[in-house]
Amino acid sequence: MHKILKIFVAVATCGLPLMLAAAEDSTLACPLRPNPGSIVQDALSLHSQKGVLNAAFTMRHSVDHDNYNHFCYDYETGKGEVESPTLRLNPGDRLELSVKDRIADTSDADEAGADHSSMEMTNKTCGDSGKMTIRSTNVHFHGMNIPPTCHRDDVLTTLIEPGTPPFKYDVKIPKNEPPGLYWYHPHVHGFADYQVNGGAAGALIVEGMEKFRPEVAGLKERVFVIRQQFLKPWVPGPYQLTVNFQVAAYPASASPIIKMAPGKKEFWRVANSTTQDFLQLQVLVNNQPQKFQLIAFDGYPLAKPRYEETILLPPAGRAEFIVEAPPAGATANFYTAAYDTGLTGNPDLQQILADIELSKDEDSQPTPVTQPASPSRAARKLLRFSGLATAKVTAQRKLYFSEEFGGTNGPTQFYITVDGDKPHIFEPDEKPPIVTKVGAVEDWTVENRALETHAFHIHQIHFMVLEVDGKPVKNQDMRDTIEIPYYNGSGPYHSVKMRMDFRDPEIAGTFVYHCHILDHEDLGMMHKILVEPK
Amino acid sequence: MCSLRCLFLLGLTAIGSSAALAADQSEIQYVITNNDVVPPLPNKVAFFKVGAGGVLSQSAAVEANGNGIGGGFFASQRVVVLQNGKSACAFASNAGSGTIAGLDIHTLKRTGDFRGSGSDTGITNGIGLAVNSNYLYGSFTDSNQIGTFNVTAGCKLEFVGDVAVKGLHHGVINGMKLHGDLLVVTYDDGSIESFNVSGGTPVSNGDEQNSTGSGGSNFPSGIDVTQDGHWAIFGDVSNTTVVEVSDLSSGKLSKTVVFHLGSNVGSANVLLSPDETLLYISNTQGDRLTAAWFDASTGKLSKGCESGRLRGYGSDWAYLASLVTETNSGTGDAVYVAEFGSPSSIGIVKVNVGVGKCTLRESSSSPVQSGGSLLTIASFPPRSF
Repeated sequence: MHKILKIFVAVATCGLPLMLAAAEDSTLACPLRPNPGSIVQDALSLHSQKGVLNAAFTMRHSVDHDNYNHFCYDYETGKGEVESPTLRLNPGDRLELSVKDRIADTSDADEAGADHSSMEMTNKTCGDSGKMTIRSTNVHFHGMNIPPTCHRDDVLTTLIEPGTPPFKYDVKIPKNEPPGLYWYHPHVHGFADYQVNGGAAGALIVEGMEKFRPEVAGLKERVFVIRQQFLKPWVPGPYQLTVNFQVAAYPASASPIIKMAPGKKEFWRVANSTTQDFLQLQVLVNNQPQKFQLIAFDGYPLAKPRYEETILLPPAGRAEFIVEAPPAGATANFYTAAYDTGLTGNPDLQQILADIELSKDEDSQPTPVTQPASPSRAARKLLRFSGLATAKVTAQRKLYFSEEFGGTNGPTQFYITVDGDKPHIFEPDEKPPIVTKVGAVEDWTVENRALETHAFHIHQIHFMVLEVDGKPVKNQDMRDTIEIPYYNGSGPYHSVKMRMDFRDPEIAGTFVYHCHILDHEDLGMMHKILVEPK
Repeated sequence: MCSLRCLFLLGLTAIGSSAALAADQSEIQYVITNNDVVPPLPNKVAFFKVGAGGVLSQSAAVEANGNGIGGGFFASQRVVVLQNGKSACAFASNAGSGTIAGLDIHTLKRTGDFRGSGSDTGITNGIGLAVNSNYLYGSFTDSNQIGTFNVTAGCKLEFVGDVAVKGLHHGVINGMKLHGDLLVVTYDDGSIESFNVSGGTPVSNGDEQNSTGSGGSNFPSGIDVTQDGHWAIFGDVSNTTVVEVSDLSSGKLSKTVVFHLGSNVGSANVLLSPDETLLYISNTQGDRLTAAWFDASTGKLSKGCESGRLRGYGSDWAYLASLVTETNSGTGDAVYVAEFGSPSSIGIVKVNVGVGKCTLRESSSSPVQSGGSLLTIASFPPRSF
């Protein structure tokens, strides 16, 4: 058969219907988001059944009436579409997630993409090949201690392009995975900021917190995902925070409402899914911050709960805590205090996230009890990373954040550098600046030499916080993201010393560490680490 | 009501005052700032009188009848001075409004606001300026155009036209330096180019090229040119101190030679001392100044000295930018440097030179608060080249 005719027949028989379906599919907009001043609803929860959670997401893009770009993980419920459902699994379960990219017209957002050069992912690709663009996507399971490999949690080679067949993630949740709050979001280098700014982020919960922290057993649970939207994410300026997609912009609009029964305790699980906001969370009662009981950080139950009035959550951080509603008649708010990010950082402003409305009716509301987890005899000592504090350290490393500007508005180079190396930005085909082996336990000190605060994050593992500014910390929390304050021009640089655990043979491979201010990551404040198998 | 005698006396007084002012102004020295103030406040141009020992005191802050943008390229010179016979003018760009304000330095009054074409804009990174006795050139960093203006009597401008420009990799115009009939520019993509301006409107000399040191995070930014026009010197945006020198003696830019002059971060702004023995370098993010020895016969640079950390870094200001010297002879005696922050200020660094060595030491009267978002300063009277 003639070559052109062959192509025509092929398109007519299979390609054309696919193309038409894709075209039709891509015309759908993201679901409508809640109006200001309404009651904050938890996202739809999808639970694993018989050890498997099977779900299908479609990544879409649309622009709302206020000209904000929405990027959404759409999920078809059978009764309509919702975005970013909460994924709930037990340790040992399997997540089978299919993701298709139906991002169509991004003409407004394309203007942004012009500044972020498209580049080839690497020589090796997982999923689709081609250049990374604002229309490309993938999924990172933030905080999960799972392999950095194709179809698991690989962001270096996984690319999903518009109109192509669904990409299948097949993630086995480790049996010793800490119970807690994780989250998922796109991580295509150069464009993560735009899609997360558009709302593409959702919660992932590994069940079983009550086994490690019985304080939460039986409490009503809330999952709050705080997102951030800029009209143009690449231009510093006014932004809006949202709580479960409801804009929190008091006094410009009515605050979101969280209903609580007076005097009742609730278990709140809060993800900072903003692109760059450092949240200082507080619960104010009659304008005074109240103590709440901190249970877990970054999806890892604390060794011992503690009471706090303020929780600092860097972008991508999570906190889980017990809030006791005040008595009837009090005024209460969920609030973020202002945070100083330094001379060259963006201002993170104080604001009300939600009004807490006290209503006895809430007593009669059904408590969305967590799906019973499979019985487990796992004691805390069997939890992942246990024994890390006393593990033999095999290497010490020092890294630092720094910045370089051609002007106050850029062009800017954002670096994270191993001390002694020449600062350079991330390149997809770079050689990993850090190479280690399975079995290694390393102490890293990360300094911030820039005049703005950065948020250090490493994929695939949690780390133990050992020291802040050279002083041992009282609470050696396990984290996957941590703030390192800006340099103020005098004294030593701020630093955090952390212990990295590369003992799990499943974590062999190449993955990344970076600043979780997503624009910084997109612009190259990221590098590879290679963990060689034993 | 004033009688005729009264008016006559007032007139005499006025004449006397003008004469006194003119006499004063002929002696006076200023450091002039473009404060780049953002709305709702108006942009201002401030005049700091240079007193004994190089001490600065503000004489006036003149509204520029437009808005600034509170930042932009470090090497985009937003205020320039023209001394032409008895006339002394300053021109300052209002990047937020797209206008250029003219100011009479003798009267410290604004002479008017001047606008280029409808497409000229520099709202993101500023409008850079360069001036000679006939023409003023405006680099519009968003529309990527060089606007040409006739300089007319009374510190006024008349728009002539635009020339579209572009770096080799689609870069945006950044630094700009005028020397005789040559206009040398840098783009933010690492390329450099020179233009012939003998006819007023810039015509490319066909020498656009990547600088030798460009690549990675490095690109040439600020420019100075030697008095004889032999060498063009480029300060690089870099994570160390990097300067490049090009031979201009053919009338075109030659391949640049790269000089690594230390580990201080950034070198976007450079300024030759009046005697051309030293090159002053703003370590843009390195919190200090560096001076390198310059050999005007060979175009070579070698390491000289550096200041300590200037006061207020990190707490009050974040970046160093434009430089001028206290005097127009020898090493210039002291260097004034724009300190961008909140509050912005002018740093004062004393220069001392001995046999084969130099020192840079911050003055006890430094810094001097300027207000606004200071990236650019100029001096009156200006250096002769």
